[in-house]
Amino acid sequence: MEAMQEPACEHSMNNNNHKGCAKPKPGEAAGGCSFDGAQITLLPIADVAHLVHGPIACGGNSWEGRGSLSSGSSLHRYGLTTNLNEQQIIFGGEKQLRDAIRGIVDRFSPPAIFVYSTCITALIGVDLDAICRSETEKLGISIIPVNSPGFVGSKSLGNRLAGEALLDYVIGTALPPSESKWDINLIGEYNIAGEIWDIKELLAQVGINILSKITGDGRFNEVRWAHRTKLNMVVCSRALINMARKMEERYDIPYFEGSFYGAKETTASLQTIARLLNDKELIDRVQAFTNQEEKKLDQELENYRKKLRGKRAVLYTGGVKSWSIISALQELGIDVVGVGTNKSTNEDIARIRERIGKDAKLIESGGAKKILQTFRKEKGDILIAGGRNMYVALKEHIPFIDINQERHHAYAGYKGLKKLAEQLVNSLENPVWQIVKLQPPWKER
Amino acid sequence: MVTYKTEKELTINPLKVSQTLGGVLALQGFYQAIPIVHGSQGCAAFIKALLTQHYQEPIAIQTTALQEMNIIFGAEQSMIQAMDTVLEKHKPSIVAVLSTGLTETAGDDLIGNVANYIKGLNKECGCFVFPVALPDFEGSLESGYSRTVEAMIRQLLKREKVCVSNKKIKNQINFLPGAHLTPGDVMEIKRILHSFGFTVVTAPDLSTSLAGNQGLGYSPLTQGGISYNQSKQLVSSEWTIAVGASMAGAAKIMEEIAGIPFRVFPSLSGLKANDEFFSFLQEISKQPVSPFYHWERDTLVDCLLDAHFSFLGKKVVLALEPDHLYSFITLCKELGLKFDGLVTSFSTNILSKMEEEIIIGDLDDLEKMAASADLWISSSHGEQGANRMNIPFMPLGFPIFHQLGNSLVTSVGYRGTIETIIKLGNLLK
Repeated sequence: MEAMQEPACEHSMNNNNHKGCAKPKPGEAAGGCSFDGAQITLLPIADVAHLVHGPIACGGNSWEGRGSLSSGSSLHRYGLTTNLNEQQIIFGGEKQLRDAIRGIVDRFSPPAIFVYSTCITALIGVDLDAICRSETEKLGISIIPVNSPGFVGSKSLGNRLAGEALLDYVIGTALPPSESKWDINLIGEYNIAGEIWDIKELLAQVGINILSKITGDGRFNEVRWAHRTKLNMVVCSRALINMARKMEERYDIPYFEGSFYGAKETTASLQTIARLLNDKELIDRVQAFTNQEEKKLDQELENYRKKLRGKRAVLYTGGVKSWSIISALQELGIDVVGVGTNKSTNEDIARIRERIGKDAKLIESGGAKKILQTFRKEKGDILIAGGRNMYVALKEHIPFIDINQERHHAYAGYKGLKKLAEQLVNSLENPVWQIVKLQPPWKER
Repeated sequence: MVTYKTEKELTINPLKVSQTLGGVLALQGFYQAIPIVHGSQGCAAFIKALLTQHYQEPIAIQTTALQEMNIIFGAEQSMIQAMDTVLEKHKPSIVAVLSTGLTETAGDDLIGNVANYIKGLNKECGCFVFPVALPDFEGSLESGYSRTVEAMIRQLLKREKVCVSNKKIKNQINFLPGAHLTPGDVMEIKRILHSFGFTVVTAPDLSTSLAGNQGLGYSPLTQGGISYNQSKQLVSSEWTIAVGASMAGAAKIMEEIAGIPFRVFPSLSGLKANDEFFSFLQEISKQPVSPFYHWERDTLVDCLLDAHFSFLGKKVVLALEPDHLYSFITLCKELGLKFDGLVTSFSTNILSKMEEEIIIGDLDDLEKMAASADLWISSSHGEQGANRMNIPFMPLGFPIFHQLGNSLVTSVGYRGTIETIIKLGNLLK
C-alpha cells in the first residue's frame, strides 16, 4: 500500500509542506470556506433536509449553487436556514434552532436532518452536538451536527469534516436489504451533470454493483449501510481519503483511489476493483470488457484525435481532477502545458509530475492572473478550469471548457472521453474566436 | 401594507441574500475598484460565484480571509494585511471594505479601523478607501447596495471638500441607479437623459462594467464603471435623479452637503411612470422630447392594446427585492393583472404605503399563495416552486441561473416597458 498522506489538519504538524492546511492569505485568497466544503460533500444526499444555522449569508448566498443531480427526491434542493437576526444571535439562537428542526420534521418528515454550524453560531458558542442529540432523542429521527464553520479553514477541510460527520453519525447504523459479492462504494463522486449515472451503467456492464453512493445522487439509507461494502473507491476528493482509511480501520474494508476520467484511468480503475475484490471471474470480465471498449473508443476518437493532436491545454482545477483529467487530455493527443496545483496535495503533485514530466508549468496559486500568464507564456490553445474562471478566459478570447461543479456535461468513463473530445473540438473550431478579432469599422474614440 | 413573518422559526427557500453581496455589486459600477469583504473566505467566495453566474462577467472581489484565531484576537490585523496586499499588488483607484455578519457579531470596529488605516496611508497613494457596515442579519441586496453608495458619496464629499463650493455645470445631472436596475436598464436611462442634451454622471455605473465591455482583457479590478475622477463631478451637477426609492438617501446627502436638488423616480416601468419622467426631463432641460420616443410611446400604447387580452382576469405572484417589487406591482396594475401573493425581503417606506398586502418572507410563502396563480415571477430560486405548482415561471431579480442576457434585459423607459409587456403577454396567453 502506498504511503499515506492524510490531508487532515492535525497531521500537518508532522508534514510541514502539506498544502491542504495552508492558511488563506488576506487580500489574495481565493476559494471557499469549510462550510462550503461540508455542503459540497453532504448536499448531494437528496432525501434529507439540510439546515443551515446562521444568518442569511451562509444559506441565502449559497443554495442551489451546484450541479449535483438527483434521480428522485429533491428535498436537498430546498434552501433551509434559521436566518438568524440580531436579537436571536444575542440570545444564542438555540430556541430558533430547535424550533426550526421541529418545523422541518412536521413539514417534510425526512429520514434525517443535517444541521450545519456557521461562523456566527460557532462564535456565540451554540452547542450543536448537544442540541442535535436531545432533538434526536425527542423526535426519533437522526439530527446530525456538522461542525464545519467557515472560519476553521479551507473547502477541503470542510469536505473532511463532513466525512467525519458521516462516520460518526451515519455509517454503520443500518443493513442493506441485499448484498452481492461485487459491491463497492463510490466516495467523493457528487454526480455533477449526472456523471454517477454513467459510472453506474459502466460498472453494471461488468456486474459491479454500487452499494453506497457517497454522496452523488445519494440517499440517507445507503450511506447508513456503507460499512457492508466489499471495497471503497475514492473517486474525486483526496479530502475524503480519511473516510476510506477509517472505514478500513473500523470495518476492514480495503480502498483505493481512482478516476473515471479518460479511457486509461477508467480501465485502470476497473482492473483495480477486480483485483481488490479478488475474483477471477470479475478479473476476466473486466479484461474482456475494457479491451472491447477501448478498441471501440479508439475508432470513435480517430477523427477527433486528428484535430486535437498537438493542441496545448492549460488545466486549472482542484485536487484529484488535476491529475486524472491530464490522462484524459493526453489520450486525445493534447499537450498539457500548465497545471494548477492550488488545491492538490503533494501526492497529487507527484502524480501530475508522473504524467506531464518536468517541463510543464505548475501553477501553485495566484488565481486568474497567474493562469493567464502561464497560458500566454506556454502558448496555450484552450483553458480547462472551473466556472469562476470562465469569464476570465472569455474576456481574453480564450477557448474554455468548464470542468467543475457548475458544468452541464458528464465526462466520466469511455463515453465521457468521447464527449470531452467532442466538446474540445467544437469549442476550438467555433467561429467565434475568429470573429471577435475583427476591428470595429470606426477609429478608436 | 407590509406584513411581517418574523415569528417564523425556519426560512424555507430564502429570497434574501446578504447585504454584503449588494455592496460588492455596487462596487462593480466603479472603475479600477475592488471590494474587500471582511469575513471568512467563504463570505467572498459565495458572493463571487453568485454574481459571476448571474452577470456572466468576471467579478472584482477580495477577502480578509478571517480564520477563527483572527476573530478571537482581533480582525483588524487581517484587514490591514488585506489592504496592504491589494494596494500593493493591484493598485486600485477605489477600495471599499465591507463588513459581514461575522465581523459585526464579533464586535469588530471596521469603520474606526479603516479610518485609522486611511490616516496612515502614504500621501502618494491616491487610492480612495471607504468602509461600509453591512451586517447580514438585516436588510438584503438592495440595502447593501444603497448603503454602499451612500457611504461612498459621504466619503467622497468629505475628501473633496474643496470642490463642493464649485460652480454647478450647466446641463450636467447626476443619475443614481438603484440595485434593481440591470446594466441594460442603466444604459437605457442614460440614453434617455442624453437625448435631452444632458451630460450625465452615473454612479454606480453598471452599464459600462457588467454589460460586457471588451478590449481591456482580464484584470482583478473592475474594468468598467465610473472612475474616481469622474465621480468627483457628482458635486458640480445641477440635478440628481435617483431611480428606485432606495437611492433617495444618497440623493439627499448630495442635496444636504452639495446643495444639489433631487428627484426620486421609484419606478420607470409602465406608461404613467415614463410620462412623468419625460415631462420632468422636458421641464428641467427645456428641450423637446426626441421623435424617437414619440414613436416608442405610440408603440407602447399599441402594445398595451394588443396585449390586454392576455391579461384579462389573470393573477400573478411576485417575489422581489423592495424597489423591484414596487416597480413591477405598478406595472402589473397598469396591465390589469391581479396579485395572489407578493413577497419581499425586508420592509421599506415605499412598500409600507402601498395598499396591497406585501409579506416579508421567503419563496415558500410565495409557493403557499401560488396555487391558483397564472404566473410566478421571481429569481431562479423560485423556479422549483413554480414547477411544483405547475405554473409558468418568469425569471426576474437576482440571481438568475442558466439564462443568457441577464445584464441586458430592459424593463425601463417606453422601450423596456414594451419588452416586458411582450414577455408577460407571451407567458400568460
